[in-house]
Amino acid sequence: MEIKNKNIKISSFVPAAAFLLFIYVMGIWFLLAPKREYSPSEKRYLQKFPEVSFESVANGKFGENFESYFADHFPLRTMWVGLNSYYNLAIGNNGANGVYNCSDGYLINAPVSTENQIEKNINTIIDFKSAIKAPVSVITVPSTGYICNDVLPAVHNRYNDDEYFTQISEKLEKNSINFIDLRDRFKKAYAGGTELYYKTDHHWTVDGAYEAYTEFCKKLNITPAEKNSFKTEKYDNFYGTTYSTSGFWLTAPDKIKLLAKEHKGLTVEITEGNETKKYNSIYFKKHLDEDDKYPVFLDGNHAYTEIVNPDAKNGTIVLVKDSFAHCFAPLLTENYSKVIMVDMRYYKESVSEIVNKENPEQVLFLYGIDNLATDTSLPWLE
Amino acid sequence: MVFSSLVFLFAYLPFTLLAYYLVPRGGRNIFLFFINLLFYGWGEPTLVLLMLLNIVINYAGGFLVDKYRSNEKKKKLYLILTCVIDIGILGLFKYTGMICETVNLLPFINIPTIEISLPIGISFYTFQTMSYVIDVYRDDAPVSKSFINFGTYVALFPQLIAGPIVRYRDVAYQLTHRKETMEKFTKGVLLFMVGLGKKVIIANPLGTFVTQIFATTDSNGVLGSWVGIIAFSMQIYFDFSGYSDMACGLGNMLGFEFLKNFNYPFISKSISEFWRRWHISLSTWFKEYVYIPLGGNRKGIKRQIINLLIVWGLTGLWHGAAYNFLLWGFYYGILLILEKFVLQRFLEKMPAVVQHIYTLFFVIIGFGLFYFTDMSELGAFMCSLFDFSQGLFGAQALTLFLQNLPLFLAAAFACTPLSSKLYARVQDFGGMWLLQTAFCLVVLFISTSSLAKQSYNPFLYFRF
Repeated sequence: MEIKNKNIKISSFVPAAAFLLFIYVMGIWFLLAPKREYSPSEKRYLQKFPEVSFESVANGKFGENFESYFADHFPLRTMWVGLNSYYNLAIGNNGANGVYNCSDGYLINAPVSTENQIEKNINTIIDFKSAIKAPVSVITVPSTGYICNDVLPAVHNRYNDDEYFTQISEKLEKNSINFIDLRDRFKKAYAGGTELYYKTDHHWTVDGAYEAYTEFCKKLNITPAEKNSFKTEKYDNFYGTTYSTSGFWLTAPDKIKLLAKEHKGLTVEITEGNETKKYNSIYFKKHLDEDDKYPVFLDGNHAYTEIVNPDAKNGTIVLVKDSFAHCFAPLLTENYSKVIMVDMRYYKESVSEIVNKENPEQVLFLYGIDNLATDTSLPWLE
Repeated sequence: MVFSSLVFLFAYLPFTLLAYYLVPRGGRNIFLFFINLLFYGWGEPTLVLLMLLNIVINYAGGFLVDKYRSNEKKKKLYLILTCVIDIGILGLFKYTGMICETVNLLPFINIPTIEISLPIGISFYTFQTMSYVIDVYRDDAPVSKSFINFGTYVALFPQLIAGPIVRYRDVAYQLTHRKETMEKFTKGVLLFMVGLGKKVIIANPLGTFVTQIFATTDSNGVLGSWVGIIAFSMQIYFDFSGYSDMACGLGNMLGFEFLKNFNYPFISKSISEFWRRWHISLSTWFKEYVYIPLGGNRKGIKRQIINLLIVWGLTGLWHGAAYNFLLWGFYYGILLILEKFVLQRFLEKMPAVVQHIYTLFFVIIGFGLFYFTDMSELGAFMCSLFDFSQGLFGAQALTLFLQNLPLFLAAAFACTPLSSKLYARVQDFGGMWLLQTAFCLVVLFISTSSLAKQSYNPFLYFRF
């Protein structure tokens, strides 16, 4: 290349030099940097260098996988993701990734679509109830954005919890299913300063779960365990799901709180497929070393879990649930000597068979309202 | 491969530029020829063969037309033969499905519909190679003496997959005599940055917006529908003109100069002006190789109207093998005829504002025909633009609009030549290089971050 006009200053080429510097530095960095296998914040394995064969190249598979490989291992990827989130925030598009950056350090999922599975899922529960003898209760957890609406950004989509809850409670009561409506209690507790939900995770806190537990006991006329009968444990540096989806890396971490109580002879049996493992604690503290600490409760998602507490007075309860139940079930063990948790996303056998065999005092459905709206595995109940 | 991808920006481009400038000048076209094939074959390697076939046929066509230059009959025969093969291949790969469906509409006929996926860029490179043979026939361009040079021209990666449609005569000299200079390279970098910014920073988010707002077409309200279709019009413009800018910029980096493909179309005062500013290389192609050979306006008004309808029907079909594109073509054909013979007299007396509103109104409605490929959806959408009974602005659509308001304003501003006028005034100041560098880096940072973000997919099960 040559410089045509000798009067032109060298400085006029600086923009091109900056461009070249940037693409070469990033390109070479990509070549040299060691490649990770797993991305903890995405909970997925990253693309490996694609297989080179005549077939894979000819059908374009190689090119496609190579692009994923390149993107997955791109230098400073996490930084770029964060930069993009804050860029969108800066140009007024709060919630571009489906998570609102709210005041008070809250990262809250945007409302679920109004076209959803709620009616279908409620009908499934009603059909299920008619096929069994045990009494059935339902708890749906209000969405974080609905309860903590004072921290939301000025421009946000509407949380339709009121419509959903009315719809659910009308349907369930017609079919003599006990619906535990948490809205009022949650609004009061939140106004009183209780942190019912995590700031960087979509789940409720132990305090939120405890509010629901007392409301549940009140409805069923059983005595809840006093909060001060538990030992409170707190752990720092919890970065939950809304944190990792949002890319708002500058958000302060949460604290995670456990309500612990010693029970002699308490056992937890977790079944996944044909394999059953037995433990002596509800809390799986190895997960406290990870960024996402929520699996400290009952080791996260499993198909079938059985908690036995010889100290409790009542009999058996069957809990059909999503992960909101993981910090709720420990409270139930104070009253029920056997808590059976079934997760319909992983459990593909008959639940009514469990109910017939175990003859429980109560069957409880516990779902976060967002999950109930999006879950497509509940029909497996039939 | 597309320009707005990490692999192109940080692997293909650095490698290509480095190798291109390391290769001595005499070998650069050969190098480009092969590196183009890599670019094109990246997604679907087998389609490279189709493109090579096209290159061979048209190279041979040009050769034969030139050889029999004194034999009018044979010369014409080879021209027609080449064009028929070109259009035949294009028709086979692009319109077979549409033709099957149309035939099946007839009673008692039910032939199986053959699905052929459209080879990327075929509409563009076919038009380029046809321009070559026709130009050789008309003595408007010299015959290409080197297969490699001709192949380099057809497959040149900057304009290969989305234009502009570069006529052979415009680059024939550059293919053998171009000079790469630092000035041209820098100009190319800046143009490439403008294009990348248009595509990644404006068009892509507008695209997300359009998808989201058109997911709820029946509850958007009148304003919501308008906002949606205006956003789509701007998305198409920034996407397409951004791609053309990147193409021209990359061309500059390699020492080429291509003609401008877009010239602020949304500031036009009439539909015919719009088409002089929108996708200029395509309108030029149809004018030169279809409209004028058909007789243009030289054979009386009746014939001119028929010619215009033919040209615009074909222009519509060129954009896609579906009836809404045909409709879109005729829509413009009829508008242009009306404008030319009736409206123009009145329009010229109107204040400029009225002329702008008139043009934008019809252009935006035109993009409605472009977006909704399903005829019943299209009808419903067109009604929603004027149906006040569904409310003014749906709640969800309004939220979405407010979230994207700054993007909208920036995009609207960038549709006008104001920024380039401003730039023309200040570009000779001494410190301009600092601003230019800052501009490059900002575009690079935001673009890289959005491209990297696309790959960030938290595994969904953990939502629960």
